[in-house]
Amino acid sequence: MNKMLAVLKREYLAGVRKKMFIVMTLIFPLFLGGVFYIPIIMMSKGLGEKTVAVVDGTGVLQETYAKSDDISKAIDDREASSSMHIEYIDAKGKADVDAAAKPSLDRMTETGARDKSKLDAVLVVPAKALDSSDVEVKFYSRSAADIITQERLASMTNRGIHAHRLAERGINADEATKILASAKVKSVQLSKSGEEKKGGGGNLIAGLLLTGLFMFPSFIYGLEIMRGIIQEKNDRVVEVLISSMTPKQLLTGKILGTALIGLTQVTAWLLMASVAAGFLGAAASEAGMNLVRFLHPMMFVYFAIFFILAYLTYVCIYAIAGASCNSDKEAQQLIAPISMLMMLPWFLVGVLITNPDSSLAVAFSLAPIFGPMTMFLRTLVADPPLWHIAVSVAVSIVTITLFFRVTAKIFRVGILAYGKRPTIPELWRWLKLA
Amino acid sequence: MEILSVRDVVKVFGDVRAVDGVSFTVRKGTITGLLGRNGAGKTTTIRMITGIFFPDSGSIAWPGKDDGDFRDRIGYLPEERGLYKQMNVVELLLFLAEIKGRRGPDVRKSIDRWLDRFELGEKRASKVEELSKGNQQKVQLIGTLLHEPDLIILDEPQSGLDPVNMVLVRNLLRELKDEGRTILLSTHMMGEAEKMADDIVLIHRGKVVLGGSLDEVRGSFGKDTLHIDFEGDGEFLRDLPEVRRAAIVSNSAEITLAEGSDPQRILEAAMGRLRIRRFELATPSLEEIFIEKVGADTLQEVAS
Repeated sequence: MNKMLAVLKREYLAGVRKKMFIVMTLIFPLFLGGVFYIPIIMMSKGLGEKTVAVVDGTGVLQETYAKSDDISKAIDDREASSSMHIEYIDAKGKADVDAAAKPSLDRMTETGARDKSKLDAVLVVPAKALDSSDVEVKFYSRSAADIITQERLASMTNRGIHAHRLAERGINADEATKILASAKVKSVQLSKSGEEKKGGGGNLIAGLLLTGLFMFPSFIYGLEIMRGIIQEKNDRVVEVLISSMTPKQLLTGKILGTALIGLTQVTAWLLMASVAAGFLGAAASEAGMNLVRFLHPMMFVYFAIFFILAYLTYVCIYAIAGASCNSDKEAQQLIAPISMLMMLPWFLVGVLITNPDSSLAVAFSLAPIFGPMTMFLRTLVADPPLWHIAVSVAVSIVTITLFFRVTAKIFRVGILAYGKRPTIPELWRWLKLA
Repeated sequence: MEILSVRDVVKVFGDVRAVDGVSFTVRKGTITGLLGRNGAGKTTTIRMITGIFFPDSGSIAWPGKDDGDFRDRIGYLPEERGLYKQMNVVELLLFLAEIKGRRGPDVRKSIDRWLDRFELGEKRASKVEELSKGNQQKVQLIGTLLHEPDLIILDEPQSGLDPVNMVLVRNLLRELKDEGRTILLSTHMMGEAEKMADDIVLIHRGKVVLGGSLDEVRGSFGKDTLHIDFEGDGEFLRDLPEVRRAAIVSNSAEITLAEGSDPQRILEAAMGRLRIRRFELATPSLEEIFIEKVGADTLQEVAS
């Protein structure tokens, strides 16, 4: 026991003192935050200021574009914060609207132009737009994927056209605004107990985020323990170690030590997250995501349980790989396909989260290896029966115990078997031998 | 008194019988040299004694082996050295003591003493990877001795050491022996074994081919070795009928006599052609015994 603790202590201290640990602890949340937050900001800010020209063949829509910001604010928060500078060009009476648009299009494509006068996009509204029901508004842009600008201009234009058509039929502007006001859709999920909770499009993102928080430490520290074992083999430290204790003591110390490093890191992240939650929460809700609604107390309990189970499962798998290989390269080749398989639930987050009680989700959540992550996802978005949770936890514990034994055996034989990587039959023999 | 007895131990790896029925005993308070060529089975034997491998058959016994963790009473310096390179010297030594069940202020004091003795006092806070190879070896040797083991097992302790450090280690081992510790010393350096060992066990291809106290072993080979120092070209000595084998290096020759031949005849032959400075009939060196026992076998194998 004391020897196991000595190994645990050494592993832990060696781990948390590494630069990599400190950098990861500080940088990863920023990175993860960035990955999810920056696109949200970008979307809401519209990727900076855009200058667009509207060539209006009808000649009546100037007002629409002039007060567009006010209207859009009233209708959609997301559009309000971005800025778009619209140049209005009245092309009423011009026989060929496209010809009238020519100078603008040239300005858009010309290369020497100063930023100020350069156009990002041009929208051409044909003269018959108000009368005909079959009309095509053309949107030219330098970037094929400038969907946000396109959507905004399109909705403004349509609102303007609608308002005018209504006005022509004798409905005044105020009435028109009321008629055109669209209803918001708010998603609410009903749990079995009838209580309202969670829900919404944010589910997927929250699921990805939280399962990411599950996986990354597991993979990072799994790799770490794999490298550690190989390094010990290459440094020959291991001979001193296993002449001083049983392989089981050594392995337990190593795995728990590494597990503690991961837990330290995740705890640090959660603390940082809860500090940041105040700021982020505001920003996220601005982006239409209420992250706070996921953070109910049971979630933390489930997170802790399933994180530890997932972590130990993965770390054991990596330890087996480390014990049976002689170089990082060999081990990487061995582990790459296995880790893809282990990540399967992550690739299926979308399916699992939208159908948390489907037979696929239930099967995954009760299976070894995939269980912890899938089960956690299910608790996040639905109310799985308690016995599902209990079975899932039990399956995981059995799996981990089994892996632990296998690893200890391979460890004893494999760790001193320098030379080539063992074949599967050899591994099998080692299992029976030790 | 025996402290360790190895009986009919066998270890097979695949088709190779790495250790094939090895038996020997180690007496308390002595240095026993475990000798043999590379691959003879020395390291595998040691790994079974230290509990890394289980023997396929046979037994390894020592008084009190079953009391507590027998591993704590062994100090083992593996042939392939290894230390955690990122740790500093004192931390590493504390860890090595801890996995042998020792901790607390006594260990720290003991570490200080050892470091001073090996002139590593000012390196105590250095990382292991910053030390020279020789110093790393010294650190590992300290780690082997720190918990005051009853049985010290050293696998090639002097390989890679410079002459000064070799003497340092040799003196240390003698000192430990004088303190009453028991040492099992695996080496292929016959000269070193000869200087230190009380008993020897010679292993060849997994089998013990020779064992016993060094004096006995040498005695049993009789006085059939001639040491001649001379001036002149001594190559003709090889061809004399009384000479079975001759090792001639510049101006000295170590000659194994053919059975029943008279050394006097060699002296007569030599006197005519060489200027003799030393002519001595002696017991064979360990190296000769080694070649006698193992070399012939190997040569035959090469011939066939």
